[in-house]
Amino acid sequence: MKTKLVSLLAGAVILGSATMASAHFQMIYTPEMAMTKGGKIPVKLVFTHPFEAGHTMDMGKPEQFFVVRTRGENAPKRKDLLDTLKPITWTSLTNSGKAWDTVYQARGGDHALCLIPEPYWEPADSFYIKQNTKVIVNVGGEPGAWNEPVGLPTEIVPLAKPYDRWTGNVFQGQVLLNGKPVPNAEVEIEFLNHKPLLDSNSFAKDGEVEAPQDSFVLQTIFADENGVFTFGIPRAGWWGFAALDLDPDYQYKGKKCSRDAVIWVQAKDMK
Amino acid sequence: MLLKTSVVTATLLLTATISQAHTPLCSCFDNGDETITCEGGFSDGSSASGVTMRIETPDGSVQLEGKMNEDSEFTFDKPKGDYVVMFDAGEGHKIKVPGKEIVE
Repeated sequence: MKTKLVSLLAGAVILGSATMASAHFQMIYTPEMAMTKGGKIPVKLVFTHPFEAGHTMDMGKPEQFFVVRTRGENAPKRKDLLDTLKPITWTSLTNSGKAWDTVYQARGGDHALCLIPEPYWEPADSFYIKQNTKVIVNVGGEPGAWNEPVGLPTEIVPLAKPYDRWTGNVFQGQVLLNGKPVPNAEVEIEFLNHKPLLDSNSFAKDGEVEAPQDSFVLQTIFADENGVFTFGIPRAGWWGFAALDLDPDYQYKGKKCSRDAVIWVQAKDMK
Repeated sequence: MLLKTSVVTATLLLTATISQAHTPLCSCFDNGDETITCEGGFSDGSSASGVTMRIETPDGSVQLEGKMNEDSEFTFDKPKGDYVVMFDAGEGHKIKVPGKEIVE
């Protein structure tokens, strides 16, 4: 009986989520993940629905925003970037939301930009969402420790360089909670379908592709027993991977809080 | 027998060194305080520590010579005139960085 009720409730939750055409993705955006030369790069933190450039949520002041730079065999260097963030307003196709930006000076190697946001209260779902997010920018082609965990409480560790994928390659990642793999983790995937316009802090009006049906807006896959997921990348551009609700009992301010982990990949066409 | 083993070991060591080398990489940055820092490495992530660095005039005369430090970095005072940075990890593993392309 109890099991039935739980199943029914679970069903209700699934239905509730399913009615939303697209999911939340925390973005750390900069135009180029694989830079030829170092220099100053613009970085935008936006919490949005990327495929449809839809509703953009108000971000609070992040709890942490930092970079871990690794180059070759050198020891990792961590630098706090929280105080460099400036508040901006990001305009989606349907609204505008509070977001953040900064400029980061990148030299050679891997730069893992890491964000621990303030949990976001989602009234539609009646729970908080906290998406710890990582984007790895590489300068000059010299790798660092891109395949090592940074140590975020929830984290996707890439098993392929997120910045060197050709269109058609697979991307693999391992989902971790407190450094341990999360078996069978649910991973949502969205394509960044509307180009971010950095000068106006908004999305381009026209999308690159049209989804034939809602399933294609937000794709869902599951990790295996080791928390490893695999996804074939069908198109050049930015792809977001969000592993959801990795700690189901977690609460924030007495309410349920979905602890998620997000990573982004930028694929390029062979031409 | 002993000799044979030594030869095999030497070959293995040699192979290991070669397979780690891959593409040499060197990027230089202007530190904004009249110094330049060059960062070296290889495309497989191996260290460039100890690699010879030369600062040359455009006609090839050597102004300064040194080595990449343990972090595969080499910092030098910014020359007044035109210059070229040479990263020299041996034949086929050299990189030339013109001074005028070095920015912050």
